[in-house]
Amino acid sequence: MRRRKERIDRGIKVRSGDVFALCSWREMLYLAAPRMLPIVGLLVLSLALSVYWQRVLLSVSVFALLAISWDILAQSGMISLGQALFFGSGAYLAGIMNHYWGWPPAVTIPLATIFGGLLCTLLLTPVLRLRGIYFSMVTLVLPLMLVRIVEATRIFGGTEGLSGLASFPTRWVEIYLIIAALLAALFGFRRLMDSDFGLVLKGINDNDRSVMNAGINIYWFKIQALFIASSVGAFAGAFMTHVYLFVGMPVFALDYSILPIAAAVVGGIGTLAGSTLGAFILVPLSEILRGLGGLRIVFYGLFLVIFTVALPEGIFHYVQRKYHQFERWAEVER
Amino acid sequence: MLEVKNLMVFFENALALNDFSMTVNEGEIVGVIGSNSAGKTTLMNTISGLIIDMKIKEKRKGGERITIYGEILFQGEDITETQPFDRVKKGLVLSRERHPVFPESDVAENLRIAGHQVKKLALSERMEYVYALFPALSDLKRRKAGFLSGGEQQMLAIGMALILKPALLLLDEPLLGLSPMMQTMLVDAVKNLRKESGITILITEQFARPILPFIERGYVIENGMLALSGTGEELMDNPEVKSAYFGI
Repeated sequence: MRRRKERIDRGIKVRSGDVFALCSWREMLYLAAPRMLPIVGLLVLSLALSVYWQRVLLSVSVFALLAISWDILAQSGMISLGQALFFGSGAYLAGIMNHYWGWPPAVTIPLATIFGGLLCTLLLTPVLRLRGIYFSMVTLVLPLMLVRIVEATRIFGGTEGLSGLASFPTRWVEIYLIIAALLAALFGFRRLMDSDFGLVLKGINDNDRSVMNAGINIYWFKIQALFIASSVGAFAGAFMTHVYLFVGMPVFALDYSILPIAAAVVGGIGTLAGSTLGAFILVPLSEILRGLGGLRIVFYGLFLVIFTVALPEGIFHYVQRKYHQFERWAEVER
Repeated sequence: MLEVKNLMVFFENALALNDFSMTVNEGEIVGVIGSNSAGKTTLMNTISGLIIDMKIKEKRKGGERITIYGEILFQGEDITETQPFDRVKKGLVLSRERHPVFPESDVAENLRIAGHQVKKLALSERMEYVYALFPALSDLKRRKAGFLSGGEQQMLAIGMALILKPALLLLDEPLLGLSPMMQTMLVDAVKNLRKESGITILITEQFARPILPFIERGYVIENGMLALSGTGEELMDNPEVKSAYFGI
């Protein structure tokens, strides 16, 4: 008897796929549980963690925001190697507004988000016509260039940076602000990418000439995607400035460019939830490995390699498939 | 020469080929006729082994699971699990559909890339042979393949398969997207090829009219299943084939 493995949607998935067929708490829970998980999980974590791990949660959320920003760009056909550009411009703008003009965080963060996004969009608009590796090169080089400009011209505190900036009233404001921002970005942009606007962006990634052929100005759409993504990154930067009470050259570090990509790859590209999940695995892992000292990076790298080879689709896609479908052996009949 | 026994190919739960059996004898020219989505390309990919690569890639991506059952015998040898590049070394060469060429390389370079396995002396001889078979190509030796017209690209794609001196040449939809004049030219070239070298050819096509007159035997495939088989003339006279493919 010849058999093959068959992959079938779970009954509950099929039934709950149609809103009108929702007729039991179980089916509603099946739909709602994956969405509730990050909300409830983050709220519980914020209350249950020690002060040290709350700080880690802040940095996890910031990297998750950067990974979401990377994923939005990747879904619109722009592979960025320079999330640090977005992060750094947001951080410096907030720092400047606070240090020189004394504006409070409640003003600097929103302004830095918008103007940081505008600044990065302006910087990258001339190279939007470049595709693939050429666009990536420019995004990689820009933050490295900006950091040398700050060093050479000694503007904005030069190598010392700007310190003694205003802080948030309490650490609870910090943590709930970033959690709210992360959830808003995660759910809001997931929704946006499913709307018609998001469809056009995904179309540009698939085949930009066909999108042009549909009478759509792809550069205008790319600019909008770039503004959205860089605003998310700039918000993360502005937020971190007021957490560290310091802004300096490290905000343009390569970490802020590479770690979001690693998070998106580990979690699964193409769904913003995957990138978030990746950040929630990688950043705490790097904290746990801190005890190993010099070997930390080796183990970290090894984990990344093993992961990419074993599960190239990413954790989120794998889990999602297992949640929606099951497999069974079926007899082959003609 | 080639024997396909009870081939079944699943793309996830969809059955692309259902219990398909066929034979190709030495020196024959055999056609497989079918409409879109009948399973012609899946058949060609399975015979040439490309589906093994697709299967691995899909598995790594977590995409559709491809399941293959059945047997493929080539010159009496079971090649069902053989890798595509080893099948080429055995003399089984496919010219894929939609004439894939290397657009950034010129015509001569394309032929040289395809003939990397061939000894250097033999290669120039084979290239001359291809140019003789497709005279249109010999004027375009230095033209980038991406700038060729569809028909020229198709000739080049067939030439790239011929460079390897196949024992069995698989042609997947060679007439796709070509004008009727180009189709006639290509059919003439295939006829010449057949007359001069006596090569065995398996050809899939949805345009039955230009193909049926010169094939020796043909199979009609529908929804992955064998619907009809017979000699070229028998198929041409068959009322079902007439209504479905000639519109009479």
